[in-house]
Order: sequence, then C-alpha cells, then structure tokens
Amino acid sequence: MSGQRKPPVTLVSQNIPSALTELIFRLKIKDVMSDVLVTGRKEESLRTIQQRMKEKSVTGVPIVDGRRLLGVISVHDILTAFDNGTIDERAETHMTRDLKVLEDDMPLSFAINYFNKYGFGRFPVLNRNRELSGIITIRDINTTLLSEVNRVVEDLESELNRNSRDDLGIESRQYYVVSLDFENAGRASSEIKKHLKTHGLDAKLIRRVAVASYEMEMNLVVHSSGGKMTFQMDEKEISLTSVDSGPGIPDVEQALETGFTTANDWIRSLGFGAGMGLPNIRRVSDDFSISSKMGEGTTVEAKIRR
Amino acid sequence: MKFSEIYDLLGCTEFHRGNSWGEAEILNVTAGDLMSEVLIDELEDVVLVTALNSEQALRTASMVDALAVILVNGKVPGPGMLSLAADLDITLVSSPYSMFGTCGRLCRLLGEV
Repeated sequence: MSGQRKPPVTLVSQNIPSALTELIFRLKIKDVMSDVLVTGRKEESLRTIQQRMKEKSVTGVPIVDGRRLLGVISVHDILTAFDNGTIDERAETHMTRDLKVLEDDMPLSFAINYFNKYGFGRFPVLNRNRELSGIITIRDINTTLLSEVNRVVEDLESELNRNSRDDLGIESRQYYVVSLDFENAGRASSEIKKHLKTHGLDAKLIRRVAVASYEMEMNLVVHSSGGKMTFQMDEKEISLTSVDSGPGIPDVEQALETGFTTANDWIRSLGFGAGMGLPNIRRVSDDFSISSKMGEGTTVEAKIRR
Repeated sequence: MKFSEIYDLLGCTEFHRGNSWGEAEILNVTAGDLMSEVLIDELEDVVLVTALNSEQALRTASMVDALAVILVNGKVPGPGMLSLAADLDITLVSSPYSMFGTCGRLCRLLGEV
C-alpha cells in the first residue's frame, strides 16, 4: 500500500452511528467478499500471472493447488521480478507465503480490523475446511456497506418511538440486539436494570430480571443472527421476550439441558457458551416458554411476578 | 471483611475504586470464566474472581450486584473495561495470583477453610 495512511477507524465509538456499527457486526465476510476468483498455479510463470492480472484488472492473484491456498502474487512481486530479471520464473519461487487470511463466517468487523492492522490491499478468505473461498478488498466493503446503509436507515426510521406506556399502565421497551456484537452486548440489560432500580423494586426481584434479560441478550448475540428483546411491566408482572430471525434450535429439549452448548472455543474465550443460558432464564422465571423453528427463528418468553 | 483488606492481603493492583471499597462488607466469593456460571449463583455481597478480561465480566458483575471484580494472573484491563468500571462504579483490581491461588487465599481470609 502506498501513500500516507490515515489513522485506523475505531469500530465502536460515539462517532460512528450505531446502525453502521450494527452492520459491520451483522454482515459476515462471505456476504461481502468476491467469490469469483482469479487464481494462478504454482508452476505458472510470473509473466503469465502478470498478463492475467492485466486482463482481469486485479492487483493480487492467489496461487492455489486445487482449492488449497499456497501463496499470493501481488503487483509488488511482479515489479520486483521485472527489476531482478526473474519474470519468467515459476510463481511458487517468488510468491508471498506468509499470509494473513480471514474466515468466511467471521463478522465483517474482523476484516476491517485486519485492513487497519496490516495495511494490505486484500485478504484471501478461507472456508471452514480451510479452502480458498474468496478474496476481500476495501472496495468490496465500501460497495456492500453503501447499499446496506440505505436499507437499514429506512428500517430504523420506521421504528422510532418504540418505547411507550399505554393507557392501561403497561410499560414497554424494545431493544435491538446484534449478532456477535460483544462490545455492546449487555447494554440493554444494564438499562433495564437501571430502570427497575429507579422504580424502587425489591433487589432480589431486580436480580432475577437482570439474570434473565442478560442471558436472553447474550443468547441473541452468541447464537442468533440478530433479534429483538422486549421488556414489559405492569402492576403484576415483568415479562421479557426475545424474538430472533434465525437460525433456530434443532432440538429445544436438548438446549434446555444444563451444560449443553453448541458454542465454539472462540465464543467460550469471550466468557459465553457455558450451556446454562436457557436453564438460567427458566430458573429465575415464574413462567417460561420457548418455541423455535429451523430456518425461521426462536422466541423465548420469561415472566417474573412482582 | 472490607474490600480494602482483601486488596491489601492479596497484594492487588487497583484499576477502579468503586464506592464499595471502604464501607461494604464482603461476605461471599463467586468465581468463573463462563459468565452463566456466575449468574447461577444466588450469593449476595460477593466479589467476582475471573480470568475473563473483558467488559462482559463487569456487565455480569453488575447483574448480580457484585461489589468488586478481581482479575487473576495479574491481568491488565483494556481502556473499554476501565471506562465501563467507572460507568457502573464497580471496583476493579487485578490479583497477582492464579485463579486457584486467588480463590485459595480468599477462602482463608473469609474463614471458609
């Protein structure tokens, strides 16, 4: 990369609208990357690769063996080869082998962090089986974000004034929870808790509501593709409902067993995935229900009497 | 036992001094790196001992009204955690001992062994 580099973008700050933050956590790298790949083979000459770059207007070519990524030849490597007179040598002898790669089911925020950290123009993207599945550039990110932002802004505008109290004295608040947004995870529960404290409710009751809402919120962050948590309170009870848009739970009975989890090591290193979330919600509730449909989503409802 | 006594006896490093520091009586300890394990405890007047060096340790502590968070192995919290500790006004310190070492010493201090 040439020219002066701007200071890195801070992903979560007061300066970035939350709708945009939400997007970069919700979108996955596979939603943004190009999967039409221009690749080369290790035995091809640098000259062949250079001609391909020119033809296809790309500035970096992954060198592959089948779908296995071996290295990358960049414009920089080509220029060096012209300089050193090695342009007719095999790609494998001059490619960059020490690669930084991304995985296709990581949130887009990871890619942005990588661009800030390493200053490369592109990153190869691997799938679960460690095969090359795409390549991501800053241009891919810009294009996707611009088109998504329009849509999100419209959605958000239609949801203004969502906190309300109706004539019957039922108070209702809604919180939008973003998939894998660990930095903001827990904010809704903190707000709910603070709110209940100002009502002067019993500390034990507040704690039960806090545990249920925090577990619900975390389930949305860790397991769902995003969703909404609703808090409602009337004179008799407090109810919390979470509704997400997928992926759904294949076996609800199993998910309710203490210790059962589908979380990976990455999630656990962040403090989640103990396999206690749903059991904890059920434990602190007077009334608990869950329904889930694969491909559609999950609804969890917890009621706690005042 | 006052938190300041725990702090002295463990030789902790201070990162945020909440209002629980001098006055509140610490009666219990809850420990864990998976936050649901902490939420299942129904103990009161607790300190949370954890290796989880992230905002979520503080959020969880706040949910169970923990009086303080003690990080183990001398972990140093990042800026996000420092500002959240101030926002939530939860005491945040780091113990030089491991999880086992920290909990073992706390057990002795609280007279549970």
